Amino acid sequence: MKGVVFVELLKMAEDAFGENAVDSVIDKADLENGGAFTTVGNYPCSELVKIVVAFSEHSGLSPEVLQIKFGHWMMGFFIEHYPEFFKDKTSAFALLESVDQEIHVEVRKLYPDAELPRFDTMRHSDSHLTMVYSSPRPLDSFCQGLIEACLLHFGEEGEIARTLDPTTENTITFDVTTTA
Amino acid sequence: MSENTDDRVSRRRYEREKAARAEAEALLEAKSRDLFLANQKLEKYSTDLEQAVLERTAEVRLALERTEAASAARSRFLATMSHEIRTPLGGLLGMIDLLEMDEREPEKLELLNYAKTAGIGLSKIVNDVLDFSKMEAGVFLFEEENVDIRALIESVKILATSHETGSDRQIVTKVSDSVPKLFLGDATRIRQVVSNFVSNAIRYSFDGPIIIKATTKGDADNTILRLEVEDFGVGIDADGISNLFKDFTQISNPLTAAAQGAGLGLAICKRIINGVGGEISVESTLGEGSTFWFEIEIETVDMIDATGSDGASSDPKLPPEVIHGTRVLIAEDNTINQKLLLTYADRMGLIADLAENGSVALQKFAPGKYDLILMDIAMPVMDGLEATRRIRDKWEQDQIPPILALTAHVMDAIEDEAEQVGIDRILSKPIPFQDLKSAIEDVVAGGLKSGLQEARTSAKPRKAKAQPETGDARSLMDLMAPDVHKHLVDMFGLDGLSDFAEKFLLDSSNRIAKLIAANENGDAAEVNAQAHSLKGAALALGFPDMADWAKKIELGETEKEDMTVRETAEKFSAKLTELSAILKH
Repeated sequence: MKGVVFVELLKMAEDAFGENAVDSVIDKADLENGGAFTTVGNYPCSELVKIVVAFSEHSGLSPEVLQIKFGHWMMGFFIEHYPEFFKDKTSAFALLESVDQEIHVEVRKLYPDAELPRFDTMRHSDSHLTMVYSSPRPLDSFCQGLIEACLLHFGEEGEIARTLDPTTENTITFDVTTTA
Repeated sequence: MSENTDDRVSRRRYEREKAARAEAEALLEAKSRDLFLANQKLEKYSTDLEQAVLERTAEVRLALERTEAASAARSRFLATMSHEIRTPLGGLLGMIDLLEMDEREPEKLELLNYAKTAGIGLSKIVNDVLDFSKMEAGVFLFEEENVDIRALIESVKILATSHETGSDRQIVTKVSDSVPKLFLGDATRIRQVVSNFVSNAIRYSFDGPIIIKATTKGDADNTILRLEVEDFGVGIDADGISNLFKDFTQISNPLTAAAQGAGLGLAICKRIINGVGGEISVESTLGEGSTFWFEIEIETVDMIDATGSDGASSDPKLPPEVIHGTRVLIAEDNTINQKLLLTYADRMGLIADLAENGSVALQKFAPGKYDLILMDIAMPVMDGLEATRRIRDKWEQDQIPPILALTAHVMDAIEDEAEQVGIDRILSKPIPFQDLKSAIEDVVAGGLKSGLQEARTSAKPRKAKAQPETGDARSLMDLMAPDVHKHLVDMFGLDGLSDFAEKFLLDSSNRIAKLIAANENGDAAEVNAQAHSLKGAALALGFPDMADWAKKIELGETEKEDMTVRETAEKFSAKLTELSAILKH
């Protein structure tokens, strides 16, 4: 998993709980590299899970809630650092549809070895989009946070229904219905 | 604690950042190394690729050079072989000519005639192969000269019917009025194609007429001549047609069991016609006959504009001097050719002196000693070109008699050099007796310049020769085949031609009277003899109609046109009366 995710997660934690709290949580989390992450590095996803669990214990918030918050945080990061992906998009659906086709293509140019999740989308109507998330990583709530933040960015409101695919492993379907 | 204030970071955090930076730097170095290695690999690929391309290119070039060399060697071999065959063949044919002149026994004459026919056939094949190899080698040049297609077709027709195989065939010519009287083209090559079509038509059909048709289409700026030769013979199926114009192919001929020729005729025709930017093809139905045709773009020669533009050649020439007693130096190394030329010279009444190579010729030559030099080109010690050059260097122009070159070489190849060293005229070996005699008469009579032009078949476009202005000659021309007329005017001048025609008139009137009388008396031998003489004389003067009638009488074929001998003879007489009227005019 790309180092930027770890760096940003720790930044969010510092922002929310303070640097001292982060220091002590990292100590407790028993990380392989002692929490020294760089954006250009690659780290196992299990380390990310360790950090999330440690902050959950520290804050009393559930790991799912923390993942959703982190999703919001990362969307903010993307908007700030990669505005070119948002420039031509007029709706949340348009951006969600471009993740696999445009954004991941660009990611692969910089990091040919990146293990990227798949996001298959299907637009049923102007207000209804299905997004199927396939990844060996248990980051469904993080995805949900990203989708929510995306709707917010485009000033849209809506429902996000999450269904676990019973037949295929590691596959979650998000049904996004906008109301605005 | 002080280190926990807002503007300071904890030691642990600092250590984490340091470790992260070290990792990032290590990653960067690793990436840089990877990049370097990748670049190196890429460069190696690129070098390898360039090397591979170079090697492959060298291989291909070598292969190409080998192929070209092989092809050139093959062409050279063909050309050399044809040349080598042509020389002794010329000797053979010449010897047969000489034997035939002396031979009186009919049986032996017949055998000689067979030998001659076989020799001519072989010579034709060799010439075909030589033409073909010249085309292959890309040294086949097209001349541009005035072409009179009517005369050309007529001469092809006369030639075809004069052969045994074509003598009983009816050849019909239809030249549309739209076809210009003269146009620019390569007469020799066009004749070759037409003659090939006609001889094929004769070979591949056993009866029915052969129709030669010439038409034009297009406008004045862009005139297309179409020439067709139609026969009603065996025809060709679709498969045969597709192979017909390829090299060395021949369709099987049910009419003759044995294959004839080398199968190059139509391939050469195709190359000739394509070479002048034309089209050639055939329409044929199996069992019904074939129509071979070609279409070429022609440039009409405006006869009115051209009148007087080439004054020299219309100047009446002196009648031929008697060549008897002319002193000639013959430079020739080949013993057979020596024998041939010496015998020819003897028959012409020349006083011949022999030099066995160019060097000897140079030693023997002195001003005033000879009236003419016959110079072979390829000779040991010193070749004919060098000998000519040295003679020209050593003596003044007016001290040197005309120099005729004799060569079995491809003419185009030595033409320029021959002209440079000052050879007056090139004659192609093997040269028949009569041609050599005409050429010698021609130069001795002072017809040098036009002779050179004619022999060289100049590559430069020649506009129409001025037509004779005098009334009688012009009318005379109407009766005569134009090429023969031109030839005779060139040779004898207008006055000479008139004299000649008058002699013909006198002689032929006499003979036709004898012929008619002999016919009345049932003296077939006399009829035959007179008809034969009349035919020869009419051919010599280029009166195709008269030659044709005389031939029919000679061969006893007048009934073919539903006429008796007498009726045919009367037609001949009527033509003579016409000629007489023109001459008295």
